[in-house]
Amino acid sequence: MKLAILSESPADEAALRVLAEAVVDGPVEFLNPGFRARGWPSVAQVLPAVLRHLHFNTDADGVLVEVDADDSVVHTEQHERPDYFHPQCRICKLRAVVRQTVKKLPTADGRHRLLRAVGVAVPAIEAWYLCGRDETVTEAAWLEGQRTGRAPYSRAELKWRVYGTDRPTLDYEITCALREVARHRRDPRRLLNDFPGFGYLAADLRSWKPPTTES
Amino acid sequence: MIASIQFRHFKALRATGLQLQPFNLIIGPNGSGKSSLIQAILRFRNLAQLPLSSEPPGAGAACTGPELVFKFIPPFDGVEAHLCGVSESRCDQLNVSSSPPGAWDELRSKLMDVRVYLFDHYAMAMPSPRSGDAELITNGGNLAAVLAARRESNPDAYAAIESEAVRLMPEFSRIELRDAGNGKVELAMVLREDGDVIPADGLSQGNLYLLGLLVLGYDPAPPAIVCIEDLDRGIHPRMLRQARDLLYRLSYPDAFSLHREAVQVIATTHSPYLLDQFRDHPEEVVIAHKRGRAATFERLIDRPDLNELLQEGSLGEMWYAGILGGVPDEEIDIRPGKVRIEP
Repeated sequence: MKLAILSESPADEAALRVLAEAVVDGPVEFLNPGFRARGWPSVAQVLPAVLRHLHFNTDADGVLVEVDADDSVVHTEQHERPDYFHPQCRICKLRAVVRQTVKKLPTADGRHRLLRAVGVAVPAIEAWYLCGRDETVTEAAWLEGQRTGRAPYSRAELKWRVYGTDRPTLDYEITCALREVARHRRDPRRLLNDFPGFGYLAADLRSWKPPTTES
Repeated sequence: MIASIQFRHFKALRATGLQLQPFNLIIGPNGSGKSSLIQAILRFRNLAQLPLSSEPPGAGAACTGPELVFKFIPPFDGVEAHLCGVSESRCDQLNVSSSPPGAWDELRSKLMDVRVYLFDHYAMAMPSPRSGDAELITNGGNLAAVLAARRESNPDAYAAIESEAVRLMPEFSRIELRDAGNGKVELAMVLREDGDVIPADGLSQGNLYLLGLLVLGYDPAPPAIVCIEDLDRGIHPRMLRQARDLLYRLSYPDAFSLHREAVQVIATTHSPYLLDQFRDHPEEVVIAHKRGRAATFERLIDRPDLNELLQEGSLGEMWYAGILGGVPDEEIDIRPGKVRIEP
């Protein structure tokens, strides 16, 4: 499997590479260098161009997209209903962008379609890093905070808990990210359970079949 | 070190003020006072070397022109410096109130150590005279000599620079400093792939600037204040995070487990990509607004709608769009006769 990653930072991409291999339980080839967006909504803006580029100019099987949820509406089971779309949900939005883009793409080099895996870290990827080591950090806790208007933690607090500083260097961020996702690589079940935003991404990846081609 | 500066009739800064943080990123159009802020600090540094004026602040004809008032963070919060003059070119009267009286002497010795940089890659690539003085000059023109001196005087600090350099520029395996004759030393870098040596004039602008930032960031005895003009210049947008990290190393030593005083950094930029790096720390961003010939400063953190804005997109996009201000005036003339329509 050959994957392209569209993420917000090199640290995110490092973690996503490890997590993707954990989910498919095998080696994955990654397009290098990865695609980078400047946060939301740049991810959604640049995604159609990334998809077209991948489709016509590369042999990647698909693209993995991950963004932070920040304070947006969290994707829930309700959003998974057929034809459901929540305009403030980033997974709904990104899936719609992919759907609208790829349906217009003609077959290229025998490739019918490009696969996609979309995940949203609630509220930020540092929450995934803390999963399994800080019991208070879960997607359910964040949802409950949104419901009651009392956030259990802020993005800044999550960063502090992971990095021990609010100004980590990029190199240190990558070191910490790899240290934390090593736990999930051994056993991703806790992350799948506590963070459905990762679960949707994993389900996408696991649903991939070898790409259909025609000569 | 500097807590705030009040400006009156100083170049475009007619009537404005600025609270300074340990790290400050100044954004704004050309002529909006970014460089004037740095010039004000330099003017203050230069005057601080001279005996203080015996005239009371603002006395007589000596102070009919620009005025600057500097205040400081503890332990110098009992010091206030008042700088004024008759014209922009003659802003040369400095009065200081100091409590306790000895605080000014201590502060003055720190002010001697203000450094301003506007890197010039042509100068940085030149061989430079060896010197025991390990201080980078304004255009970075003695980069090779500083690295050589650092290697001699502080091998650990030099090793840290080299290690970080090859991490940031992975095509290279090491820095090479070669004797260039006539007491000069020249810089080169060795390619990882085949060991070829690339002389400094064959290195890219961005690589030389990153080396300059590394020398600053890993200075074992940094100055009190560092000002950098056009921090983003020549550096790829994907490397700007690392450039920021190098300067954070100066401003927030605790975050790097360094046991020394924080260096106050003032950097200017025109890069939306660099601005993006400050999403988590909007308190460090200063927007320079220009209206006509007058300029004012505004801290991004003071915007009441900042949290809502941060949900909508990147800081860089919002700055470019004009939502944050700090963009050039545009005159679009639609008077009849201004547009000629061909029949």
